[in-house]
Amino acid sequence: MTDAPVTPRTSAEDGFTLIEVMLALVVLSVGVLALVAAYSSGYVALRHATRVSSATVLADSQMERYRARQYASIALNTSCGASCAEDSTYTGDAAYSSTAQVTGCATTDRTCLPTQTLTGPDGQSYRVDSFIAYSCVSGTLSTSPSVSCSSGQNPVKLVTVVVRRSTGGDWVREQSNFNSLVGT
Amino acid sequence: MGSRFRRARARAAAESGFSLVELLIAMFILLLVVTSLTAVLVGASHAQLDADTRFQAQLTDRTGLDKIRREIHCATAVTDTNGNSLTAGTAYTAITVTLPGACPTASGGVTTYSTWCTSASTLTTGDYALYRVTSTALPRPTCGTAGKVKWDDYLQTSTPFCLPSSGVACSGVLKPTSSLPLLHVTLPVNLTGPAAVSGSYNLVDDIALRNGARS
Repeated sequence: MTDAPVTPRTSAEDGFTLIEVMLALVVLSVGVLALVAAYSSGYVALRHATRVSSATVLADSQMERYRARQYASIALNTSCGASCAEDSTYTGDAAYSSTAQVTGCATTDRTCLPTQTLTGPDGQSYRVDSFIAYSCVSGTLSTSPSVSCSSGQNPVKLVTVVVRRSTGGDWVREQSNFNSLVGT
Repeated sequence: MGSRFRRARARAAAESGFSLVELLIAMFILLLVVTSLTAVLVGASHAQLDADTRFQAQLTDRTGLDKIRREIHCATAVTDTNGNSLTAGTAYTAITVTLPGACPTASGGVTTYSTWCTSASTLTTGDYALYRVTSTALPRPTCGTAGKVKWDDYLQTSTPFCLPSSGVACSGVLKPTSSLPLLHVTLPVNLTGPAAVSGSYNLVDDIALRNGARS
């Protein structure tokens, strides 16, 4: 056959070198990490979508309550106690303006509370902030304005509902105008 | 150089393969790996199916509520299926919404009676399904009327509708003063049955009867 004897494979002692093994491990771990990252980002996206849809249900429900109210009784109770007091997150919101804020709601109805914590359909807690301000729109709709608008304009109540995370940032934000001819 | 070349040629020409024992061990290891991979795949596929069904149940729940909301906003009356006013604080299995012909969901532009009712689920024992059935003539339809369409399933309650007054509450909800009448609608869904402690999706809303009087 040949002049060099064929070494039986099972008794050969030359394996992989440390460098080769480490390279293989690095390649393997990059692959595994990519898989894990794909899973975890999928999970985070799913969780976020769940929270946003639950927050939307709460915001819709709060706005529905305002639709049911009389124009005159769309207001906030700004001295309703510690649980619903206006904190820095509330007053720091873009929709907040101390001069335009419509106050005077006496009851403990959900529409009167500037800040409240509600349980969403998914069982999680959500902070729901409501803002009411006068806004001026063109047209003829007002009968009893409580705020002055320039000529040719009429006041409406601008309701903003914000459902936010406990750690800051909004899940969802809704806004709607209410005029004095609807809901008297 | 020469010896390395010779050795390589020798190896290429060698006919000795793997022994039976080596093959058996390799196949056994392969079997272990494939089995565990299959288990992972089957588990993932079950989880995917469960998540998908859950997502669909919650989606149809929200769609159903939206449909009810749009009909009630347009309705001229919300009664029981006999046309009587709803008793405040009482939970109903069925309500009939009277839709004038101009409403988008009225059939053929004429006054339509649209009944929303629950009956036993066909998917899970102990659960309920929400149906909508319409008629353009009296008597008002019920869940027994032919042609009902299912809007929601896996419901955990058979009585989703309740009308609160300013004195009588529905699940703690009172009608505020100076407000339109509100219909309290509760649509809790859970895929794992009424006894389940987790996985609940409790969709609740108070829908304003916009053609009612504010009082």
